[in-house]
Amino acid sequence: MSAATHQDGPKAAPGFLRRLLSSPSGAIGLAIVFLLIFCALFAEMLAPYNPTKMGAGGRFLPPGGDHLLGTDEFGRDMFSRILFGSRITLLIGAVAVGISLTIGLAVGMIAAFRRGWIEAILMRSTDVLFSFTETLIALSFVAVLGPSLQNAVIAVGVAGIPFYARTCYAAALVETAKPYFEASISAGAGPTRLVLVHLLPNVLPTMIVVATLGVSTAILAAAGLSFLGLGAQPPTSEWGYMLAGSRDYINRAPWLMTIPGIAIAMTVLGFNLLGDGLRSSLDPVERK
Amino acid sequence: MWRFLGTRIAMGAFTIWITTILVTLLIHAVPGDPVQIMYAQSQGTTPEQIEEVRRSLGLDRPIPVQYVMYMERLLQGDLGATIRGGQPVLEVILQRLPNTLLLACAAMFIAIVIGVPIGFLAAYREGTLTDIALMIVAIAGISMPHFWLGLMLLFFFALELGWLPVSGNGWLNLILPALTLGLSNAAIFARLTRSSMIDVMSQDYVQTAFAKGLPKALVLRRHVLRAGLLPVVTMMGLQFAFMMGGAIVVENIFSWNGVGRMAVEAIFQRDYPIIQGFILTFSVVVVCVAIAIDALYAVLDPRIRRS
Repeated sequence: MSAATHQDGPKAAPGFLRRLLSSPSGAIGLAIVFLLIFCALFAEMLAPYNPTKMGAGGRFLPPGGDHLLGTDEFGRDMFSRILFGSRITLLIGAVAVGISLTIGLAVGMIAAFRRGWIEAILMRSTDVLFSFTETLIALSFVAVLGPSLQNAVIAVGVAGIPFYARTCYAAALVETAKPYFEASISAGAGPTRLVLVHLLPNVLPTMIVVATLGVSTAILAAAGLSFLGLGAQPPTSEWGYMLAGSRDYINRAPWLMTIPGIAIAMTVLGFNLLGDGLRSSLDPVERK
Repeated sequence: MWRFLGTRIAMGAFTIWITTILVTLLIHAVPGDPVQIMYAQSQGTTPEQIEEVRRSLGLDRPIPVQYVMYMERLLQGDLGATIRGGQPVLEVILQRLPNTLLLACAAMFIAIVIGVPIGFLAAYREGTLTDIALMIVAIAGISMPHFWLGLMLLFFFALELGWLPVSGNGWLNLILPALTLGLSNAAIFARLTRSSMIDVMSQDYVQTAFAKGLPKALVLRRHVLRAGLLPVVTMMGLQFAFMMGGAIVVENIFSWNGVGRMAVEAIFQRDYPIIQGFILTFSVVVVCVAIAIDALYAVLDPRIRRS
């Protein structure tokens, strides 16, 4: 993220990957995330049963035998539901973070680049929104738009914007004060070039770390909304929604509760570890 | 110090003012006719009654007029009446708010009592197996969804072992929800405390203290602890807001009669006056706690206290 990174960005890539893989958290995180993407991509081929087909072989079958992770209250195969759930979960994470990251980057960079009253308006409104907390923003959005998975994802994405904008603003402010940036201005670079060629590539490492950790936060928040019944609706095999349904059968079929919970926790752990690993391999100070 | 606090209070007042505007606009952002939607669930409402409600809510006036009306009533402590039952919203909220605050405070206590010592121990033994093991536990704790932790605690302690009641509003009922919220936040405090302590320990004045040959325990107590805990105090304001947000989910698991459970019910019933009141109350509480934490911070940090 220093001027040096700026000059030899592309060449640094192989060393970066080696550093990421040599840190235990980065390696484990990457493995979990790859496994998830694999499950999501090939859910049709991997799943032994149709995830929404009822009565595939009896209700409340405990894990083992024909049904690796048992069946639920409608006789649906849990393993297949979890596999298809990974697709929904990754999509939730990607779309929500996409919303927060795109708008956050734009707001943060414009505020740091333009300064003056634009900066004041953008950053003060970010401060106000930030103090509302993400949960309240997300809940208000769902209250207005009505409960659905799509609205929950939009709500979580919008709720994340203030944090992304703040972080991007701080990172961009550091860059604009560096000699190379001033040199580009005196060399006659226009605003578009300054922002896209100089500012963006240099705030990106910070923002990639924030976004990776943000996938965890977004997945947790969306699963929480679905758990409350404010997100995914039946018969979606969304993990938070599956957990909510398990409450009624907590004594009879505890695996309905444990399995989706483990799935969410592992996914979130994967992105958290990957984010931690990325941070230490991208940060020249922590690199040592 | 007073200038520092004055800025924070002004900023908080500004936030609450913006909330009142957003809350008034909220009902207009609802796709379709909010009055129709609110009454869609109750049968036998005549068109005349719907018009009556529209008038009483002021929804037939221009938006700026509605805002002025809303503020006039708000300043008199009138948050409107609930759609179902017609009770005063303020009364409904004030009945439940103490429960939510109690839950959030209990959870905060648990989070600090567990999280800060763990973080301190990990920093003290930085790089050793103890440190690594504690930090693995912490990252696992952060990754665990609190609604899942809540269900697991409910399953083991209330259903399997039968030690604690499943739901209700007594003191025993507070234990499980407070643990659920507290444990997930303890992990955040542990990580923060650890990095903050390590940061302070590498400072020159601490190195000097060690170099003078002072015993480690003394250096930690006298020089590291106070400075290292400052970021933790700053974090408490934000954490409290998280707890209030987390309480929404946890209250629903344990049927704890707080404002979070009320808000989710109101969203399902499309009871917009309650939702508006909830958003306003939530931001007032969060702003007040943030100011209180800033005041505490100002007292603890001599650089601000003497400025």
